[in-house]
Amino acid sequence: MIYLPGSGILHRLHPLTKLAAALLIVVAASMFPSPPLLLGALALLLLLALAAGVARRLLPIMVSMFLPLIASLFLIQGVLFPPANATTLVALGPVRLTIEGLAFAGLIAGRLLVTGIALLLTLLTTHPADLVVGLGSIGLPRSAGYVLLVALQLVPDMVARAGAILEAQQSRGLEVGRGLARLRALPALVGPLLVGALSDVEERAMAIEARGFLSPGPKTSLRTLQDDAVQRAARLLFVLGVVAVVVLRVWMLRANP
Amino acid sequence: MSIIQLRNLAFTYQDAPQPALRDVTVQIERGELLALIGRAGAGKTTFCTLLAGFMPQFFSGQLQGSAFVDGLDVLATPIGQVARSVGLVSANPAAQISGARFTVFEEIAFGLENIGLPPAEIVERVTWALGALDIAELRERSPYALSGGQQQRLAIAAALALRPPVLVLDEPIAQLDPRAARELAQLLRSLAAGGTTIVIAEHRLKWVTALADRTLALERGRVIANGTPAEALAALAALPAPQPARLAAVQTQPNPFPALQPIVQAEAISYRYPSGVAALQDITFSVSAGERIAMLGRNGAGKSTLVRHLNGLLPPASGRVLVAGNDTRRTSVAGCARHVGLVFQDVRNQLFARSVREELRFGPRMLRRSAAEVELLVDSALDTLGLRELAGEHPYDLPPATRRLVAIAAVLAMAPPLLVLDEPTSGLDTLGVTRLIELCLQRASQGVSTLLVTHDLDFARQAAARVIVLDQGRLALDSSWDTLDANERAQLAATVGLPVG
Repeated sequence: MIYLPGSGILHRLHPLTKLAAALLIVVAASMFPSPPLLLGALALLLLLALAAGVARRLLPIMVSMFLPLIASLFLIQGVLFPPANATTLVALGPVRLTIEGLAFAGLIAGRLLVTGIALLLTLLTTHPADLVVGLGSIGLPRSAGYVLLVALQLVPDMVARAGAILEAQQSRGLEVGRGLARLRALPALVGPLLVGALSDVEERAMAIEARGFLSPGPKTSLRTLQDDAVQRAARLLFVLGVVAVVVLRVWMLRANP
Repeated sequence: MSIIQLRNLAFTYQDAPQPALRDVTVQIERGELLALIGRAGAGKTTFCTLLAGFMPQFFSGQLQGSAFVDGLDVLATPIGQVARSVGLVSANPAAQISGARFTVFEEIAFGLENIGLPPAEIVERVTWALGALDIAELRERSPYALSGGQQQRLAIAAALALRPPVLVLDEPIAQLDPRAARELAQLLRSLAAGGTTIVIAEHRLKWVTALADRTLALERGRVIANGTPAEALAALAALPAPQPARLAAVQTQPNPFPALQPIVQAEAISYRYPSGVAALQDITFSVSAGERIAMLGRNGAGKSTLVRHLNGLLPPASGRVLVAGNDTRRTSVAGCARHVGLVFQDVRNQLFARSVREELRFGPRMLRRSAAEVELLVDSALDTLGLRELAGEHPYDLPPATRRLVAIAAVLAMAPPLLVLDEPTSGLDTLGVTRLIELCLQRASQGVSTLLVTHDLDFARQAAARVIVLDQGRLALDSSWDTLDANERAQLAATVGLPVG
């Protein structure tokens, strides 16, 4: 789970407010990818991350997720396949570093970073259960919300079970050493993992039905989301902003095709 | 009018060769506490699931007769509606976690949200249920990060919070320590006094029959007794054993440890969890050839942690463990497995082969036995636990109780001088438990040892000669059942309780 508990400004916002703001930033950055706009958005997002107290967690995730991607982007666009008629900055034999190639790579990297940070900031500061409650209030079906939350916990659950299986089979003399031995060990490890997961599905379906998951009538939620008139207005503005950005872009494309 | 009315009820699962319930006619009154007993496969779980409305909507099959619970025709009412009248706690607590909640508190609230209670009442009811099951200190923990006993209490708390007029519990104390089981009995008694109707299916016959107002015995889906515990127990005892608990006389392995050297020696071992909590402190004991040992202790006393030290799965933080004279820190787990065979509680983590025979071959093959030796060991293990006729079956086609015996046989086939069984009686009926007791006695007579980690005091008394008690990570008692003095008896009573015998 990526969520980092806290009580900063972003943590206190309604999940939908954060989602709407993130959507606006992402749409604006992809419709109008100009360097000043992208740099401005990045600066704003980083300031928000600092204010929310999640910058320390955000940066390592960004580095591990985006650094390889961005590095290969600069290599491909900037060095190996520059745009036609590009101005050479440095040439080393057949390899040319071009200004246009670097600029193009920079724009794509900027968009990626803005999108990634905007979404990560939302996830880092929103408890997944709150996110599902928020999405439920605008029409996400309860079953879809349930599946979303189960999927989030599936990975730690499977990791714990894999550990228990490894213990059980080692206790039966299974060597989990190197090379071929490791390959031979696979059925004894994967078999119980699959069977366990499958048989759990039926039992869990029974358990949630026995606890009224499909019970008729209105449902309630223990989680109550903080909301106010200002946030509702802000959300409306953000959504209108998204529409405006899209309309503006389409109009500009028509005006100068 | 009776709150539960079953009339000539019969149910056959889709594609099953024979009915799971036959001609069941039973009435249960409001506030009555009914014990449901019977051998493995007698139909107890089907009975419980049917009361909660799962037939035929969830489990399809052929139905006859009628079933009314709290005024609802449970054979025709949607499960979601029956759920408001009947709370069901099934036998596997880990699989009952909703998976969509992050703390114990929210997990208990899950059902209450589903029936649309206002948040203030949810908080009040969850708080009550946490207290009733004595798990208030776990409220902020993840449901996944609990022990089996804690998960079992969580599952019961989650059902209780719904305050159903009818509560159905399938093997509720399988993973509870004796004290928790006694506390649960008191709680159920007071709920029944308050008007809740309670049905409990359980193999721990003494616990459940002492608790219940009435005992119902099932055999092959039929009611064979309906009245006092004595009548029901007599009806069960009169049943012919389907397969004789025949024990193999052949022992293929001579004992490699003639009394000189202990099989396992734990010398002043201590262990801390990664969280820093002390799990074991300064524990010293050894296991010699031909011993029968029961290890007792409350949920969370450190039993599972200690057992994992006996074959090197966990290295001690200080002190050392010697297996056949070798320090476990310098021996692989697979190397230790030659001497110490360990069977864990959740057998699903172990079984993977297509047939019982193939499953049993795995261990001895890993120990590089010759093909001929493997077959001898497998046959001997199959006979010892009465599984010969099932050798060709797929382990997952067998009922859970038989599957547990298969898991034990699979480690037994490795002919380990010390066999360690973690909660082996969970889900076993009297016949299965008798087989385990005979297994321990037979092994002792052949000079090989067995260590049983269990909450079942009567089983511990009958199967073991020596008793070890862990209390909060320390060795509180290490003695023989026959030589317990007054102090030791008091110690035992204070930590886990005393067996009836």
